[in-house]
Amino acid sequence: MMGHLEITVMEIVWAQGESSVHDVAQKLDRPLAYTTVMTTLDRLFKKGLLDRRKSERAFLYAPRLSRTEWERKRAGDFLAAFLAGPRPSGDLLISCLVDAVSEQDAALLDQLERRIRIKRKELDRRRKA
Amino acid sequence: MTVPYLLRLLCVCMASFFLLHLTFALAVSAAAPLAIRRAERMRASAGARLLFLLRLLPPGLALVVVAAICAPSYLWLEPDASAEEVGLIFLTVALVGSALCAMAIGRALSAAVRSRRYLRDCPRLIESNAPILMLAGVLRPRLVVSRGVMGVLDHEQLVVALRHEWAHGVAHDNLKRLLLLAIPGVLPCMRGLRSIDRAWARMAEWAADDRAVGGSSNRSLALAAALVRVARMGPAAPAPALATSLMADPCDLEKRVDRLLDPAPSPEMPRAWVVSGAAFALALSAMAPQPATLRAAHRLLELLLH
Repeated sequence: MMGHLEITVMEIVWAQGESSVHDVAQKLDRPLAYTTVMTTLDRLFKKGLLDRRKSERAFLYAPRLSRTEWERKRAGDFLAAFLAGPRPSGDLLISCLVDAVSEQDAALLDQLERRIRIKRKELDRRRKA
Repeated sequence: MTVPYLLRLLCVCMASFFLLHLTFALAVSAAAPLAIRRAERMRASAGARLLFLLRLLPPGLALVVVAAICAPSYLWLEPDASAEEVGLIFLTVALVGSALCAMAIGRALSAAVRSRRYLRDCPRLIESNAPILMLAGVLRPRLVVSRGVMGVLDHEQLVVALRHEWAHGVAHDNLKRLLLLAIPGVLPCMRGLRSIDRAWARMAEWAADDRAVGGSSNRSLALAAALVRVARMGPAAPAPALATSLMADPCDLEKRVDRLLDPAPSPEMPRAWVVSGAAFALALSAMAPQPATLRAAHRLLELLLH
């Protein structure tokens, strides 16, 4: 699990690539103490999400996983934890996923149908003109 | 181990085929992402053709080299070697090559038999509400459609959907599927080859869409509407291996509708590629019967054999 600040810091490192504490602190929306950013980066390093190397006197941090890899890992961990629970919770999760996918499919089909209708109207209009 | 001449020749052929196929397949697998990106920028039929040829290239080229160089060099330079020791590693490679070829032929034959059985038992019009509209079979493909699809599509949509399936027949896509099944596997971890298979299937659908609409805006809209209506009918029923279905891959629906609504002009296969392919084939055929090539191949085979 990651906190809000940790996610923000990870977003910055993913966007910027290898960054120092100073680089990250400068990119934050709100001003935070240097030591707070340093502690957060250190925590992310200890969680295995960042790699670090020493450059002169400061550490440079780089993401160990790409954003997609991290999201896949997160989804996998979440599903594994949920499915490891009692049977009803696993069934519930699968049924929620099926519902969500069906809703998304229906919305996509509605959107495609709308686009086809608009295109047909355009075509009719052009033909009349 | 001492083995008879003919068996040794067979071992030479199978082991060389396996090693050459593995080498070419590794090269094609590494080039797959680039080739797929290039194919997607071409006209769909040209892109599908390129990917199909690329997929056939490793076994095809391996077969040509074995038939034109390896086997003749062994026959020419060792015509009367009645008894010769064969290394265990070479024998194992030959056995693995033979097993992979046998598995591939078995897979293709089994798919052909299943497809034939399916066509024998299945009527052209299926009394079901399932979203079935497909072209099944290899040599004499047959259109199969469900009553549900006939009821959901209007006349114009049904005609263009049938034209889409007919386009698969013209492109011999089911025969190509059979050939792909007959290609021996190499390594299970070669993702590149699998991604070429998937990209080819996708581009074959796009090519059939293009041929079905034939540049007509009305038919494009009708086919797009038909795809959405069939998608609304629910998940597709399982189809036999040698069949093309109107809704082959639901994940590709959005892209297909996009292409039909906003067709973008795309080029044919670059002429330079065709010319370099032909030049390579010509060079290979000129080099193969040369005594120097056969001697070099023989030296390599001797090294492998022992």
